[in-house]
Amino acid sequence: MRPFVYERVGDWAAATQAAGRLGSAPASYLAGGTTLVDLMRLEVMRPERVIDINALHDSRYGRIEFGQNGLRLGALVRMADAADHPGVQRHCPVIAQALQLAASAQIRNMASLGGNVLQRTRCTYFRDVSYAACNKRNPGSGCAALAGVNRMHAVLGGSDHCIATYAGDFAQALIALGASVDLISADGARTIPFAKLHRQPGDTPDQETTLRPGELIVSFTVPAAPWTRRSLYLKVRDRQSYEFALASAAVALDLDDGAVREARIALGGVSTVPWRAAEAEAALRGKTINDQTAMAAADAAFAGAQGRGHNDFKIELGKRTLRRALRQAAALEI
Amino acid sequence: MADDDIAAKNPQRSGTNRRRFLMASVSSAAAPAFVRAATADAAAQRNSSGARLPADFTLTINGRDYQLAVDPRTSLLDLLREHLALTGSKKGCDHGQCGACTVLLDGRRVLSCLTLAVAAQGRAVTTIEGLAKAGALHPMQQAFIDHDAFQCGYCTPGQIMSAIACVNEGHAETDADIRESMSGNLCRCAAYPNIVAAVRQAKPVMKTASRD
Amino acid sequence: MANAAAPTPKANMGPAAPRIDARLKVTGQAHYPSDTPVGNPAFAVLVTSAIARGRIERLDLDGARAVPGVLDILTHENTGDLNDVKFGHGSGTSIEDLGPEIQQAGQIIAVVVADTFEAATEAASGVKPAYSEQTPSATFGSQGVTQEDATKVSPQHKHLPQAGDAEAALAGAPVVIDVEYETPTQHHNPMELFTTTCAWTGDRLTVYEPSQFVYGLKNGVAHRLGIDPDKVRVVSSYVGGAFGSKGTMTPRTAMIALAARRLNRPVKLVATRAQGFTIATYRAETRHHIRLGAARDGKLVGYSHEGFEVSSRPDAYVVAGVEDSAQIYAFGAVATKVNIVHADRNTPGYMRSPPVVPYIYALESAMDEMAQKLGMDPIEFRRVNDTMTSPIGNRPYSSRSLMTCYDQAAAAFGWKDRNPQPGSTRDGDWLVGYGCATAVYPTHTGPAAARVRLKPNGEARVQIAAHEIGNGAYTVIGQMAAERLGIDLASVTVEIGDSRLPPAPVAGGSNTTASSCSAVLKTCDLIRARLFHAAVTANDGPLAGRSADDLTLRDVQIAANDGTGESFADVFKRMGVAIIEEYAEFVPNGLKPQAIADLYAGKLAMVGGSHGEKVMYAMGAELVEVRVHALTREIRVPRIVGAFAAGRLMNTRTVHSQLMGGMIWGISSALHEATEIDPRYARYVNDNLADYMIPVNADVDQVQVILVSEVDHDVNPAGVKGLGELANVGTAAAIANAIHHATGIRIRKLPIRLEKLLQA
Repeated sequence: MRPFVYERVGDWAAATQAAGRLGSAPASYLAGGTTLVDLMRLEVMRPERVIDINALHDSRYGRIEFGQNGLRLGALVRMADAADHPGVQRHCPVIAQALQLAASAQIRNMASLGGNVLQRTRCTYFRDVSYAACNKRNPGSGCAALAGVNRMHAVLGGSDHCIATYAGDFAQALIALGASVDLISADGARTIPFAKLHRQPGDTPDQETTLRPGELIVSFTVPAAPWTRRSLYLKVRDRQSYEFALASAAVALDLDDGAVREARIALGGVSTVPWRAAEAEAALRGKTINDQTAMAAADAAFAGAQGRGHNDFKIELGKRTLRRALRQAAALEI
Repeated sequence: MADDDIAAKNPQRSGTNRRRFLMASVSSAAAPAFVRAATADAAAQRNSSGARLPADFTLTINGRDYQLAVDPRTSLLDLLREHLALTGSKKGCDHGQCGACTVLLDGRRVLSCLTLAVAAQGRAVTTIEGLAKAGALHPMQQAFIDHDAFQCGYCTPGQIMSAIACVNEGHAETDADIRESMSGNLCRCAAYPNIVAAVRQAKPVMKTASRD
Repeated sequence: MANAAAPTPKANMGPAAPRIDARLKVTGQAHYPSDTPVGNPAFAVLVTSAIARGRIERLDLDGARAVPGVLDILTHENTGDLNDVKFGHGSGTSIEDLGPEIQQAGQIIAVVVADTFEAATEAASGVKPAYSEQTPSATFGSQGVTQEDATKVSPQHKHLPQAGDAEAALAGAPVVIDVEYETPTQHHNPMELFTTTCAWTGDRLTVYEPSQFVYGLKNGVAHRLGIDPDKVRVVSSYVGGAFGSKGTMTPRTAMIALAARRLNRPVKLVATRAQGFTIATYRAETRHHIRLGAARDGKLVGYSHEGFEVSSRPDAYVVAGVEDSAQIYAFGAVATKVNIVHADRNTPGYMRSPPVVPYIYALESAMDEMAQKLGMDPIEFRRVNDTMTSPIGNRPYSSRSLMTCYDQAAAAFGWKDRNPQPGSTRDGDWLVGYGCATAVYPTHTGPAAARVRLKPNGEARVQIAAHEIGNGAYTVIGQMAAERLGIDLASVTVEIGDSRLPPAPVAGGSNTTASSCSAVLKTCDLIRARLFHAAVTANDGPLAGRSADDLTLRDVQIAANDGTGESFADVFKRMGVAIIEEYAEFVPNGLKPQAIADLYAGKLAMVGGSHGEKVMYAMGAELVEVRVHALTREIRVPRIVGAFAAGRLMNTRTVHSQLMGGMIWGISSALHEATEIDPRYARYVNDNLADYMIPVNADVDQVQVILVSEVDHDVNPAGVKGLGELANVGTAAAIANAIHHATGIRIRKLPIRLEKLLQA
């Protein structure tokens, strides 16, 4: 691990000011530390300054609030607290389940929601700096995963420069429910759709988000909507627990006498970013969910998928995961 | 104070610790309290030597206050093991993948390998060494013995800390709950069914104990 | 409520005594080697090679040296004085230099030592090698690998089992199968990392390192350093899991000893999890070509098994599990062959049940395929071919209870309800399958020595350099002493894991209980003889004039059958001694007396298994239920039942845990574990515990262990067959067979992951 200056801040203004003072020196915010400390130890991340924002947990950014506009989740809420929150479980089960099925109890106790959506990929060639080729770590160096061991890699949203999978779960729930994300920086506050937060790799895989330098996530807002209650998260993996998804699906449905008025679908484990499957949503609109319509939606979702060898199976697995999730969601008693 | 406590508990290590602590406090005296950086002039600290200065802070471990001055890079796990001779918490991966380093931070189970010691300042740490009171085992420790919930014993301190939190969190309602909730603690000897049985046994005893 | 962890003993089983080290382990006070306090240690961090084949042309150390707190850096340029060790002489590899030649990925190329762990870690990343790189050969099928007949290169495997004319038998067999199987690279991944702490006092070296063979390590390190072995002490009081990975010396130990000598300061190394994949050994990938021939009634007439195993470029590590597989059924004619394939890899080594895990997986899968082809129940097919005589040389089994195991396991499992038709059973969205397989492990016994001290108050101390790796060594050794000395287990202090104690064999081959308990038994019997002699030759004692044959030790007394007794205290007093201490050396039948002197020198020979006039095996039967999701194909194992017979069982609690854990290892082998290799670089890509899958708690549901009584007077004086490596054998085949039963799909390559079942 490289040496760094540790700084502890007491309010958001101090945090963003601290970041703003840095100029070009790389800095990182520290919340749960489950990604940052891990990657600093691997020397994948080398901040010269670590700004600890955990003291802000006692503000409203550490709280879960239900209001007229829906659900507001502070960025410093710990994953476990949101997963165990009765209101979240009742009103937005897909959020609670996505969090509950992620990582381990210890990590869920540590990791913040803001940090969770920014977790970095698990690609081996990214995490191990002794591999020369990684466009995400070292722009222009190539991608060792394209022709490498890529069972866990993405089939959607990849490019010839990067196929690293977005590893999280919670973000799928947020993107399916059309959440927005509130940001703050020394230049002020702004709110963007969560779907605009992550960037597909394209030819700049090193640029993973649209966050501006020094900008911080302060909260997420999930709008109240008729589909949030009929929602679930299905995660398929080799182990029963404590493993990243091979394929996952966040599904939320608004049914009118069995017919789909609105479907919200996001896919995980198969894509480079949290992946909203708009084509699948459109394919279901007005239809009753059965084997045929679920299969057609799944085919639509993966129409543009591209396998790279070891991960070819994820196209079929992803489709089946979505089919299963849709059938389960349609059958939910709510 | 902390020095004396360690010396009393681990006479064979006292010399080492005292020496390292003294060295550390000399350095920290020369550059006081850069850690309180919200009020410090950050720009002045932004050079490589600044980053190499020890961080000084206090930490409560097993009910005892420690005044510390360590490299800011030091993980809570390495602080416990290499600086305070509390070697019950184990290093199995150093990347948050095995659970052997699990401790309680303000009562919640966390991974000490992914926790910077300096970031835990002001908080209360409980390790395996802090469970037995006056020689009496915690009900979870006794249950692990009764159900042979380990073989080599290396993951055991982490399992026990995690298991106590599992009960306290209300995640020990069914065997399936326990299995899921304990899945962040790998056991290569694979004592898993015995661990579940131990948690099942300890749960009502812990509840009784907390009522008393 | 019954405690499943402490089964009630049946005939020839010892009590379910709690582990005598349990309290230390649940309080964090059991000191594993890296927990041992040493004064003012410096911290070492390894730098390993990013290439698998080539040469270090330049090693830039400037960045590393510039890190404050760095004390020393070892490289190939300052470690030339370390002596070479040949592979197979207690050393796990001959790739032991820090370069400049690179023979494997992850080879240690530098050791950075600094005042703190943090500084050493930072500096290690500042070591910048420049390589000239050659294209490496990674594994089977890679360009540049070379293949050899194992009998030509492995001294232990000059002759592999053959019986009759297998080709003719197969050609004439009414029913034949001809199949191929594959098993992957696996790494032990004990929870404890590979650590070494070295401290010198003058010219004496103490090594704190988790070891399964402290005498081997002591002698090996002394040789590498060129010093007298008597000046080296290895301490390994507790080992945080081993599974074979800590049985042989690996290169790091001598490097850390050298670093500590150069600095005149203790040096502590805790290698990273990723480094553990390349600085120690692993289970090599294997391939198998099996042909079985049978008559229509199910009687086997021929068995041909050709194995292929990967090893490193310079070393021929061979497991040759056909030695064992060829013994276990009435095959008729047998032909076996093993090939070693050399690649640019670290040298593989022992990993829990090294020969039998891959070879019995292949055989037991083939047995299932043959049973299906014959239209027979797979258990009945094994019954038809059960035998008390090995087909290799028609030698008798010392004991064998395989079908008893099958019958007890089948009854507990409910096997009779199995619909033989594959794909016939479904529970909601899940396809259900049942499968079975045989577990088998050769019984090994080695030489050992012990020192036992008895005090008149009935307290005893046992000293033997055995190893506590989770096997319950402290406990069962204490039990044997308590039993022979007529005292409580609580009165026995056991000291093990230290090369200052009398030697015991490697904690490998599942010999620890058999060998150590036999030595302790022999030593205690010397004490018994002295006490009996003093009691019966007394002028006036209560037992004066009795025959020693009528006496025993019980409740801190020398006791006669009729209830007459004399306390230890009285006999000690008459003898005029304060303590009685005896030392004895145990050499099993079949070994030369020289074996014990060899053991002191770190050289080990063991007997048993397929060698000798009788063949000696522990056996078991494993029955599993698997569930495969009909759509997404996740594979889960909700239930597994195993019944095992292994001679005398010293402690049903520790035995139960080992067998239960073994079966879960089997689940892991079938479904989870595989080290993935990037063939372009011959590097392991999933070298961490997030990507190298082993089961978590949620993967394990019902695991039932049935202990089957068995008596064997031939194996060793203790009557013990080892079983630490029994239960993970065959499990993978049972699961593969159950998956076939659930889905109709036969997968012949491990691990079985869901993508292999998506095609249907």
